[in-house]
Amino acid sequence: MYLTPEEEKIYDGELGWAYQVSMRILVKLGDLFGASRLIPINSAHISGVSYKTIGDAPIDFLKALVETGGRARVNSTVNPSGFDLQQIEKMAISQEIKKKQLEIIDLYEKMSVNPILTCTPYYLVRPKIDSHLAWAESSAVIYANSILGAWTNREGGPSALAATLIGKTPDYGMHRAEEREANLHVKVKCQPRNEMEFGALGVRIGKIVGNRVPILTRLSRCTRDSLKQLGAGLASSGMTSIFYCSEEYVGKSLETISVEDKDIKDAIEKLSTTSENPDLVFLGCPHCSISEIQQIAHLIKGRRVREDVRLWVCTSRYVKAKAKRYVDIIEATGSHVLCDTCAVVTWIKELGVNTMMTNSAKTAYYAPTLNRVETIMAPIDQCIETACGE
Amino acid sequence: MGIILNGRPIVSGIISSRALVSKKPLSFLGGIDPERGTIIEKDHDLRGRSIRGKVLCFPHGHGSTVGSYVLYSLAKKGVGPKAIINVTADPVVVVGAIIAEIPMVDQIDIEQIMTDDIVEVDGGKGTVKIIERRQLCT
Repeated sequence: MYLTPEEEKIYDGELGWAYQVSMRILVKLGDLFGASRLIPINSAHISGVSYKTIGDAPIDFLKALVETGGRARVNSTVNPSGFDLQQIEKMAISQEIKKKQLEIIDLYEKMSVNPILTCTPYYLVRPKIDSHLAWAESSAVIYANSILGAWTNREGGPSALAATLIGKTPDYGMHRAEEREANLHVKVKCQPRNEMEFGALGVRIGKIVGNRVPILTRLSRCTRDSLKQLGAGLASSGMTSIFYCSEEYVGKSLETISVEDKDIKDAIEKLSTTSENPDLVFLGCPHCSISEIQQIAHLIKGRRVREDVRLWVCTSRYVKAKAKRYVDIIEATGSHVLCDTCAVVTWIKELGVNTMMTNSAKTAYYAPTLNRVETIMAPIDQCIETACGE
Repeated sequence: MGIILNGRPIVSGIISSRALVSKKPLSFLGGIDPERGTIIEKDHDLRGRSIRGKVLCFPHGHGSTVGSYVLYSLAKKGVGPKAIINVTADPVVVVGAIIAEIPMVDQIDIEQIMTDDIVEVDGGKGTVKIIERRQLCT
């Protein structure tokens, strides 16, 4: 890989250990994946924040970076943490865990990383079309590449952090036009009816595509919110970083597969592990957009959440503030609008939750192993009906 | 003795120690006890064995990218491996070895190495030398 004289100096340690180790990470990954140079990035998004997911492991490393002067060179955000910083009392958090989680967030802040704790950083600052990014969090990566037209690899926590400190990333994979070309044609011979079915379709297709680039044809009623669910599903069961949607496919001949109604039904059945009543109804994976908050408010207005169920709506602090009018309507029903976290990265079992209902295929995909709970998939209106019904 | 295996340099440094050879991939997050450095991954062929001070040989890593931080943490606590040999390096293990400064080589046929052989790893050259075969009958 070619390095500029300035990059060479960083590699040799002239700016200290934090920058040296970051440069080594980027250069080595670049060498392994055939990059020719480093390119500047507009922003970074770092995963590995919730103490529930990562435990103590990164604390020593983050401390060493802070102590040797590591500071972010580009706008950067971080993934959700283990609790809502302003509503800790609503969650099962011991003093010890609270201390550790705040320490992790504090270490990121000391590196000048923006401590907005969300998996949807694109609602806060929308990346420009054709801009290069270094984002971790698979659902945000696939949204940025496919829906916003930005260019980012699917980074891991440490490589996104290294890119944050250097302000650059190696130019392989999704940073190259030829690697972004579709190489699998998926004929969608069914029409998902709601956001839940879009997500389930994503999980189904993700299992087939692996790390190929699919183009989905004949899919209609695609809104940004439904495609967010589809992408999150695709990136959960597959290693895909980008997908396309188009009326028809015209181009060089590609391997073609088709998906039908039965595939969506199968996926939903597999993602639902029980039919029992839920203790928790969870909306907001990935974090809700303003339009999703508005939709929930519209459906729940004037109703009351049952005593034996919790209804959680998770979003970013930014969206919560922007959508305050709708948030007030939702909270008046006994629901909780939580920021900085979500049901998957906090301790729900410890709150007495054994069964969770969600409209998110990504959550249903991960919760049985990450949270040891049973899952039921249902679209947003049915989730609200279950939480508020007689 | 003195079989030399040629691979690809990943992280430089020369070290010799006893080998611990795993047939299965390893996940550092959830697969290794972060305090003791013992393998705790379910159904793993080396479950219960310690990686401390060993030349750890395994096909490749799998699982969460937090695994890189686990490797760093193990090394800081003095319970990490002395060197790593992979068949195919993946980003999680590579990044972990870089930040923990653990010599690493990949593209090595690890079937040539047996657990408890004494091997010398040269991470800068990408070579692995089998210095002494383990004693089969003692």
